[in-house]
Amino acid sequence: MAVATDQVTLQVDGVSVTVPKGTLILDAAKKLGIDIPIFCSHPKMEPVAVCRMCLIEVEKMPKLQPACAIPVAEGMVVRTLTDKVKQYQQGVLEFLLINHPLDCPICDKGGECPLQDQTFQYGPGASRYDFQKAHFDKAVPLSDKIVLDRERCILCWRCTRFTEEISGERELALIKRGVHTIIGTFNDEPAQSVYQGNWTEICPVGALTSRQYRFISRPWDLDRTPSVCPGCAMGCNIQIDSRHNKIGRFQSRENLEVDDGWLCDQGRYSFPYFQRDQEFGSPSIRRDGQLAAVSYPEAVAEAAARLQRAGSSAAGWASPGATNEELFLFQRLFRETLKSPHLDHRQQGIHETDPEDIGLPIADIERCDHVVVLGGQEVIDAAPVLHLRLHKSQRHGVAVHRVDEVKAGLAAVPAEATVVGVLATAARRADAITLQNQLVSKVKGSVRRLIVVRGPNGRGAKDLGILPHLGPGYAVLNGRAGRPRAEWPKAGIRALYIYDASPLQEFGATEAELDWLRSLDTVIVQRFKPSVLDEYAHVVLPGRAFPEKDGTMTSMEGRVQRIATGIDAAHVWDDWRILQAVANAMGAGWPYRTSESIFADLAKAVPAYAAAAPAQGRVLWGER
Amino acid sequence: MAEKKILTKDFGAPGLAHLAGYEQTGGYQAYQKALKELQPDALVEMVKKSGLRGRGGAGFGTGQKWSFLPKGVYPRYLVINADESEPGCFKDRYLLEASPHQVVEGLLIAAFAIGCNLAFIYIRGEYLPQHEALEWALAEARQAGYIGKNVLGSGFDVDVILHRGAGAYICGEETALLTSLEGYRGEPRLKPPFPAIKGLYGKPTVVNNVETVATLPHIVSNGPDWFATIGTETGKGTRLWCMSGHVNRPGNYEMEMGAPIRELIYDLGGGVWKNRKLKAFQPGGASMMVLLPQHLDVGLDFDAIQKAGSLAGAGAMVVMDETTCMVDMCRRYVEFFHHESCGKCTPCREGTFWMTNVLTRIEEGEGKAGDADLLLEMGNNIDGRSFCPLGDASTWFPRSCIKYFRDEFEQHVTEHACPFRKERVMVA
Ligand SMILES: Cc1cc2nc3c(=O)[nH]c(=O)nc-3n(C[C@H](O)[C@H](O)[C@H](O)COP(=O)(O)O)c2cc1C
Ligand code: SF4
Ligand code: SF4
Repeated sequence: MAVATDQVTLQVDGVSVTVPKGTLILDAAKKLGIDIPIFCSHPKMEPVAVCRMCLIEVEKMPKLQPACAIPVAEGMVVRTLTDKVKQYQQGVLEFLLINHPLDCPICDKGGECPLQDQTFQYGPGASRYDFQKAHFDKAVPLSDKIVLDRERCILCWRCTRFTEEISGERELALIKRGVHTIIGTFNDEPAQSVYQGNWTEICPVGALTSRQYRFISRPWDLDRTPSVCPGCAMGCNIQIDSRHNKIGRFQSRENLEVDDGWLCDQGRYSFPYFQRDQEFGSPSIRRDGQLAAVSYPEAVAEAAARLQRAGSSAAGWASPGATNEELFLFQRLFRETLKSPHLDHRQQGIHETDPEDIGLPIADIERCDHVVVLGGQEVIDAAPVLHLRLHKSQRHGVAVHRVDEVKAGLAAVPAEATVVGVLATAARRADAITLQNQLVSKVKGSVRRLIVVRGPNGRGAKDLGILPHLGPGYAVLNGRAGRPRAEWPKAGIRALYIYDASPLQEFGATEAELDWLRSLDTVIVQRFKPSVLDEYAHVVLPGRAFPEKDGTMTSMEGRVQRIATGIDAAHVWDDWRILQAVANAMGAGWPYRTSESIFADLAKAVPAYAAAAPAQGRVLWGER
Repeated sequence: MAEKKILTKDFGAPGLAHLAGYEQTGGYQAYQKALKELQPDALVEMVKKSGLRGRGGAGFGTGQKWSFLPKGVYPRYLVINADESEPGCFKDRYLLEASPHQVVEGLLIAAFAIGCNLAFIYIRGEYLPQHEALEWALAEARQAGYIGKNVLGSGFDVDVILHRGAGAYICGEETALLTSLEGYRGEPRLKPPFPAIKGLYGKPTVVNNVETVATLPHIVSNGPDWFATIGTETGKGTRLWCMSGHVNRPGNYEMEMGAPIRELIYDLGGGVWKNRKLKAFQPGGASMMVLLPQHLDVGLDFDAIQKAGSLAGAGAMVVMDETTCMVDMCRRYVEFFHHESCGKCTPCREGTFWMTNVLTRIEEGEGKAGDADLLLEMGNNIDGRSFCPLGDASTWFPRSCIKYFRDEFEQHVTEHACPFRKERVMVA
């Protein structure tokens, strides 16, 4: 007698495999490297078995069975390569194609289309269908982001299930029935979701396409570069697809711990901000009230001279869109070279920070029994893909409480709760800590918090001390603290260095600050694209956009992730190189030749980063 | 030979559609007996013992179906399938019109037996008078205390919700029915889980046909042994047969299981109309395979009809005389399935569309050599490969017609015309 276990052994095409109970035949076969063709099945969605592509033979079952929906059983004998299966695969592909327009030559998906690929691999050579095809609308605008081709749609339900199971928004639905069935929105109203780009990635045909990417490239012409989304602090992994040194699109690059394979539209469709669609001017110096083009060395020398004059009355603002390597050098430039403590990366608010803010890793939300989202939609807006994780957690039984007030959050979580999470934006950090403390006294289990900071490297900026009162690694600056940005206009600052690394996380000056800028002796602006600040600058130092450089970014949960160069901008100095040149012009003597070498020093200065870097893991502050 | 009337025994009695008239014929006695003398478990056993099989199409043992409900899981629901949309079927409609209380009483007995406190009736949208009859009957039963809290002091609470469908054949399929009843698009669900485990609103659910439950009062009143003496070894009791087509006296006939088909068509139906010859007939409804005069002595019974190569289905009997064009019959039926395909799965959605095209072209005289084989191959890729039996069944009639009448298909192709066109008569 076999011992009862939660493992099941079965045979697929004559090979034995052991998998956990409840595994689907499709996945058991995959484990053996046996590919069963699918369209509707998706690893993140419930099986529906509607496309009927994956039917295979199971011994003792008279009918062919959908491998995507049938769980394995002990002793099951599965056959995926029999004549019966092969004949049927030709049949179902023939069915799928009778009303398909076969307009592959003008379809964005061509070349990365499961329908095309599987027709090639499993389909009949030719169709016997010799009637008029059923015609449907083409190029239907679903929103300002997405276009739907109803003729190409094979009704796999992936997009409708995404809106139901993954985002919970139920925006797409099946309309009409039978061969007339179409995909659409309620009353043809434009789709509102901020997760629409994902539809184009899961659509197994060219039915759902991004307006931004329509007719831009063939997939095989794309260069692919792994990177991290510049949109927010979530840290979703992306792939930069480029052609002829231009960004074509951002695609998701699944990281189960972070994005679970999804992106939001803010991030996905942000790439035009980073496109070098024209030349953005050379370095320049203000002469007689006008910016005059100069070489990098000239501009660097001018910047260094001006900064040196200001010395400790210089202030530096760096964007939370800059890399860790750049930020590390930026703060060294101020603290070491200029001996100025006036550093910041924040905009208006002054939010305190400490490593406990990353107490709850994103993926652990699923392992909580209660999660309080303090601020509700505000939190989601700050890191949209977080909603997908919350929705998934909710589907798996996590109680998610979206509340505005601490009181409501406290009331929502029962005393029996064992694993509790609190999510809030940096603006509500103080409330989040209050709630956390109150929950700690109320509930039986643990309470952790995750603070959604601003900017893809907002966490790194804090970790590395782009703050007036804390040095790298949250080092306390006894008596040597500087003034926060909000106080600079009244702090006797004479020179300001703005490193505006990302068009998405700009300095964003207020009216009052602009007046103040006008009054300063020196304003140095290092940025990617021309900005309003150029008008106030004495020195403009053009740098690169994030797809043009490499380095690391630390997401809101403290995960250090690498970005790589996907777009070549060799004629523009790397931003770390500019910073180094400015410091060296003042005698700093930095020797860096690569961003990796900067990271090595960074890790020495902030040991918590030493462990995180190679594994692309989270920064752990425990041993501080 | 005559009908064997059990369900229709009192049809025609004055006021039968109303409570008083129904009670006059002994109505609601069985329900009271069940409540007072029988435990739910005993009722399930009784129905099992009677051998009653579902009248909705699949012929599954009713008591057995009830016993699949997981122990101790509540609430559980009973849903009466009154969607009757199979072309050729009109028995539930007849039962509902003539004696709605018989259906309600059966429903209440079933609800009591399975421990259900909230039952539903899903009625075909076009069945307006029948809906009205049911509404009346439910109101009267409520008034009489047969529906409500603590029915007749038994401690049994029950309520019934009557829901009108919106005109889709697929909503007769039990899981599509439940989905539609919940307010979603009518589409079948993946099985397993079966409704008995996860049905309406995710709760254990029994779906039973109108005629199935209408039989229950008789089993309770007369006992399972009595019921089991009627019919054949594997088919107990009687069934209503809905006879239509080229027959002199179309209509509903209640026949003992196993009575020869010949009796139904000739003795009761008066034979083929206009003194024509019988060409073929089709038991079960639009879905089922065609049979020939040589099958006239087959018994009206699930297993016998299956052995003959067709299925008893929902108890239709479509009679076709010698002037019937089988290609046109196929075209008409497949067009129906094409129209009613919910579109969920590829083989049915695309296959019924393509088959309709091919059959239309053959019928129009534009068929190509090999079209019959193309239909067979398509049928092969649809049958057993579709998500639900609608797709499978769309192929059964045409494939059986090609089996028996292939030369008729060939003739259409070679003569570039339908040989029956001049004499064609509307069927069904
Ligand atoms: C396409 C399709 C249509 C059906 N339509 C009906 C129907 O109209 N009425 C019905 O009682 N059963 C219908 N059925 C059968 C039901 O799925 C189910 O088997 C039946 O209602 C169970 O009741 P019973 O056990 O009392 O027969 C249909 C099945 C299919 C596949
Ligand atoms: S649009 Fe694409 S994803 Fe949506 S149902 Fe059609 S084929 Fe599937
Ligand atoms: S066979 Fe498929 S398309 Fe046809 S009705 Fe059933 S589920 Fe719908």
